Amino acid sequence: MKPTIVFVMLLMFSSGAFAQTLEDRIRILEETLERQEEMIKEVKNLQETLKKQEKTIGEQRKLIEELKAEIRQQKAPEKIQEGAKQEKEEVSTSKDYQLDDRSRAIELKTASPLSPLQITKQTTPGLLNPAIGLSLDANYYTTNLSKSELNEGSIPGYLFGVEREFQKGFNLREAELTFFAPVDPYFNVYATIPITEDGVELEEAYFVTTSLPAGFQLKGGKFKSGFGRLNAFHPHAWDFVDAPLPYRAFLGEEGLDEKGVQLTYLPSLPVYTILGLEALQGENSILYGPNAGSGIHAFTGFAKASLDFGSDHTLLFGGSVTGGKTETDTIAPETRFSGTSILYDGELTYKWKPSNQKSFTVQTEYLFRHQAGDLLSLSTLAVDSLRRNQDGWYIQSLYQLGRWRIGARYDILSIFTDKYDLSGSKIDFGSRPYRLTSALEFNPTEFSRIRLQYNYDQSGRNDKLNNEILLQIILAIGAHGAHPF
Amino acid sequence: MKMLKKICLWFLCVFFFATPAFAKFNIAATLPWIGSIANEIGQDKVRVTSFVKPNQDPHFVAAKPSMILDVRKADILMYNGMDLEIGYLPVLVESSKNPKIQPGNPGNFDCSKFIDPIEVPTSVDRSMGDVHPQGNPHYQLSPKNILRVAEGIEGILSKADPENAGFYKKNFSSFRERLEEKQREWSAIPLRGKTFVAYHKFFEYLALESGFEIVGYIEPKPGIPPSASYVEKLVDMIKRVEPHAILSLSYYPQKEVKFLSEKTRVKSIIVPHDVGETEKVKDWFSLMDEVLKSLE
Repeated sequence: MKPTIVFVMLLMFSSGAFAQTLEDRIRILEETLERQEEMIKEVKNLQETLKKQEKTIGEQRKLIEELKAEIRQQKAPEKIQEGAKQEKEEVSTSKDYQLDDRSRAIELKTASPLSPLQITKQTTPGLLNPAIGLSLDANYYTTNLSKSELNEGSIPGYLFGVEREFQKGFNLREAELTFFAPVDPYFNVYATIPITEDGVELEEAYFVTTSLPAGFQLKGGKFKSGFGRLNAFHPHAWDFVDAPLPYRAFLGEEGLDEKGVQLTYLPSLPVYTILGLEALQGENSILYGPNAGSGIHAFTGFAKASLDFGSDHTLLFGGSVTGGKTETDTIAPETRFSGTSILYDGELTYKWKPSNQKSFTVQTEYLFRHQAGDLLSLSTLAVDSLRRNQDGWYIQSLYQLGRWRIGARYDILSIFTDKYDLSGSKIDFGSRPYRLTSALEFNPTEFSRIRLQYNYDQSGRNDKLNNEILLQIILAIGAHGAHPF
Repeated sequence: MKMLKKICLWFLCVFFFATPAFAKFNIAATLPWIGSIANEIGQDKVRVTSFVKPNQDPHFVAAKPSMILDVRKADILMYNGMDLEIGYLPVLVESSKNPKIQPGNPGNFDCSKFIDPIEVPTSVDRSMGDVHPQGNPHYQLSPKNILRVAEGIEGILSKADPENAGFYKKNFSSFRERLEEKQREWSAIPLRGKTFVAYHKFFEYLALESGFEIVGYIEPKPGIPPSASYVEKLVDMIKRVEPHAILSLSYYPQKEVKFLSEKTRVKSIIVPHDVGETEKVKDWFSLMDEVLKSLE
């Protein structure tokens, strides 16, 4: 071949080859670049993961440190600094939650097993201090009646001259102090001391035996009688602000609260049955009176039984009677009555409580009073004989849902009989006294209660309607007694 | 006065009718799980009545006359203690007129005396909610403590009924063997390191023993139900900490739990809390089985 052709061919080939390699090189370079970029990305990702892992490790270390610290605290309890974190209402994780607790000076510790000597119950009495509680009962009261109409405080034929408990506006019913402690293995002692603006009262102060055999128990001192259903409850435990009409008419707002002794007997039967007898001084100013007799002049007996229907339904029913000598000025103006009284009571309570969130209660009592004696006119000194057979009834129902409760009550006097015989002639005092009540309660906790109550009150027997509205607050601090049924 | 005579007669009649039964040891237990353990130790030598319903909130039990009657007939009264029953037990004890179970007597058996309490506050007031001054009272899911309680129950039964002491001791050692065997089974359940949000401070003993963690509570303070705004805040918290599950108990309102579960897509579990609550929970062992299974 000619050298030129060879040269040209070579040139062509080589140039072609050259061009190819350049292109290739560029491609390779681009590819390498891409790969490198990818690698950089990967490295960056890895770095991020590493950082994350470092963070987690740091967090875990912190946690370990905290746990260690906690263990140390658990081993040797120390006062934890207050105010470590004061973010109230701040929702937080467990650490913050505990911090929050710490700020309230709650310390977590694992105590060694307690020896019996170490066990001191703070909410139950200790050796040196009795359990002390205070409940505050205050209200706002308003009515369409004038002050003087209100202070007449009478139910003609039943009651005269007993002042109304509340005045229009703000009322502080009481701050009630309660004390409780076991005396020794044989006695428990309770005292209830309401402090009002008028001074200090001794509402209750009594002992209860704890070691009598065979289901017997003796109570003595001054106590609320076991008569009836509502009588033994303190006002702050009532389902309405005020007592129902039959209690107000026959016993007064404070009920039968007397010095005396009570013997109760709980036999070991298949059904809960309790029997009780009381000998009382008889100082209730409406039913008896301190001057009616020279010594013990009132007696009470009661029998109650209870049945369960399934686990949610409970029925409690019973009968009570109290009788004794009476001397009182609360029947008619300018008079004094002396004679004998006997008061009967039939009670029935039904409770449905399927859960803590829901309950329904119906409670009813019928009271009948027989009274006979002499009515002395304090102005003319004339003496008339007086016989009274009168009765009263109330029914109340409450429905609780969560922290709310609604209630309704109907109370009435002269339901079956209203006999007021003055020296043989029957006196008619007019229409039946009655009331309709509704209430709405909010109970933030078991230690606080806010209640709004409305009374449609026709108990004055004078066609003068009494519309009452009450807003009540009850607060309990300190030791809080267990609730009876 | 006629009436009074009648009542006196009634008294006498009922007194002669009421002859106590001595055949078996009568045990009144407040909570069903206590009754269950008493049954394990006492078996056919005891008759156990427990008066709190298994679906009931043990903090809010209302005293019923029938409970007074149960305590009246009891030779031994067994209770959780640590003030869990403070709202009703004192009135049952006094009204029962039964000297055997009065505080200070051997028949008054406080199970918490045998346990290692946790969360004992150094100072407490009611603004903190329902904080128990003697520590967290919910120790029924703690095998370590329950073993001690069972031993305590064996002790009281052997002391009160020495003739059958051997029987009770044998029952306790088989209880312990069964517990040890079960604990191997339970420890195989992978709970260590898991986190939960709980309604109430109910699982703290179990968390301590099983190695899981309760990182938050639906109740802002023990015994205080959450407000709507608090629940909103809980949503953020749960989203942040991503717990394994939200633990609730059957007696708490399910509304908040459901809402939180839906909002955060964290599953909610209603954990059985006492013997008899469901058909599967027949005794304390099956209670533990069901609880641990539900947490898995």
